[in-house]
Amino acid sequence: MSLLTLDNVTIRFGGLTAVDTVNLEVKQGEILALIGPNGAGKSTVFNLITSIYQPTEGKISLDGKALTGIPTHKIADMGITRTFQTIRLFPELSVLDNVKIGAHCRGKAGLFHAFTRLPSMKQEEAEMEENAIKALEFLDLAAKREDMAKNLSYGEQRRLEIARALVSKPKILLLDEPAAGMNPQEKVVLMEMIRRIRDTGITIFLVEHDMKLVMGISERIAVLDYGKLIAKGTPLEVRSNKAVIEAYLGSGEFKSRIRR
Amino acid sequence: MKKLLDNWLVQFLLFLCVLGLTAFITDAIGDVLPPYLLMIGLFIGINLIMALGLNLITGVTGQLSLGHAAFMSIGAYASAIATVNYHVPFLGGVLIGGLVACLFGIVIGFPTLRLTGDYLAIATLGFAEIVRVQFTNMKITNGAIGFLGIQGSTTFPIVMTIAVITLVLMVWLENSRNGRAMLAIREDEIASSAVGINTTLYKIQAFAIGAFCAGVGGALFAHTTTFIQPTDFGFMKSVDILSIVVLGGLGSIPGTIIGAIVLTAAPEILRPLANYRMMVYGVLLVIIMIFRPYGLLGGVNLRQAVRRAFMLTKKKQAGREE
Repeated sequence: MSLLTLDNVTIRFGGLTAVDTVNLEVKQGEILALIGPNGAGKSTVFNLITSIYQPTEGKISLDGKALTGIPTHKIADMGITRTFQTIRLFPELSVLDNVKIGAHCRGKAGLFHAFTRLPSMKQEEAEMEENAIKALEFLDLAAKREDMAKNLSYGEQRRLEIARALVSKPKILLLDEPAAGMNPQEKVVLMEMIRRIRDTGITIFLVEHDMKLVMGISERIAVLDYGKLIAKGTPLEVRSNKAVIEAYLGSGEFKSRIRR
Repeated sequence: MKKLLDNWLVQFLLFLCVLGLTAFITDAIGDVLPPYLLMIGLFIGINLIMALGLNLITGVTGQLSLGHAAFMSIGAYASAIATVNYHVPFLGGVLIGGLVACLFGIVIGFPTLRLTGDYLAIATLGFAEIVRVQFTNMKITNGAIGFLGIQGSTTFPIVMTIAVITLVLMVWLENSRNGRAMLAIREDEIASSAVGINTTLYKIQAFAIGAFCAGVGGALFAHTTTFIQPTDFGFMKSVDILSIVVLGGLGSIPGTIIGAIVLTAAPEILRPLANYRMMVYGVLLVIIMIFRPYGLLGGVNLRQAVRRAFMLTKKKQAGREE
């Protein structure tokens, strides 16, 4: 069953077609990777899903509900959260506050509650804190909860971003190059963590450059090149796909032309 | 004991007690202190109320506003017109001043809060000038001659009680869902909207509350000086309030308190220097900013610092016992 559907999605920036009639289905409970050479439009796809960009043509839907035209801040509420290619935390706030803010869309308290501190608001705060600590424990960050986010190591910051995205209990988690800048050991830990997140019932859609990680954890892979989807399938199928090899390594003819 | 303190009613009563105590103590102080010192104390209170409002806009939500004096003047004139022309009681006038300023904050917030950083600063600056020119040319405000005959109803206990209320509400706000959303906007706007924060809504909320505080401060100001004119609320007034917030430490409520005390008292303390007064005041500002570039209490997490000190003494004790 497909959870997230991209139906003929196209976006043009002036004369440049960054994403060109992409049809893609993310199935409930799977780990799907989107790969492609630099500038292929992978991050643009994420920005389209989270409504940061609006598609020029086509539509995107989650569970049959259209996402096109919905403002970015309502996307999280609908069950899609993401991490960013370049880490975007709230650097001057504590780790715990970072995660609590991640649960913003699950809270209801407004100004009235802030100024009156009624028991209902306190209860919501307590629940929020409990969930935040659970998410931090899940990502092995609970000991650092009082630290400022900017003082964490790079790998910890990446994990904190995932914790912040998880605490709102999304249906689908978008990871934009989660392994970027990690060392091989951290990557192994990350792979394990992504699997564990999936096992809690959250669908995972990731963009990644690291082939070892992609081939290791994803059940399906989609390949994007110059905004066009050139292949879809299991890691094995994609690895032997001629168009994919051509996109990454160039065609034989091209090489021979250089040699000449 | 802890359970009792968690009870809402107990907390509410405690809050009332604190207010009563503030009023009582300040009233007692008012009887003892000479009028000159009392006046300085009163202006510290007024500046604190306005600076707390600006701290919410600039320090917490991260929206640089150079037009805080405009909201102050709106509050001052609105309350003065209410109490003089319509015989509204003093505290009602203060509330009206706050509400009218708040309304303008919302109206101005919608178009200008799409801008960020320097552009927002220029837009708010422009707004402040428009307001000043408007007050200079309106009949009801008596134009450039100034609004006369306001009753001097503002007293030290009233100002301090309102300042304490503002203080407590600001602390509560900062530790709520709304306050965290505002902090998140300061830190990273794109990440904020990705986690589901409606950035426009919270910016306008911050702007409205900040403007309300400025309006209340302006109303108290008008009923202290009994005479207001548009030049009281020029660009320099906005800068004065902004420097309280920046000097204290952007986003830090204890910092804002210290900033309000230092920057209100300093020009008075320096008065014996006569002609060199404002020069020394400027030098003082420069020196503070060189040694504390993030403000006096900027980057200091008081709660964390206290907890750390507490843990250190505990460790020392444990070490001794071993």
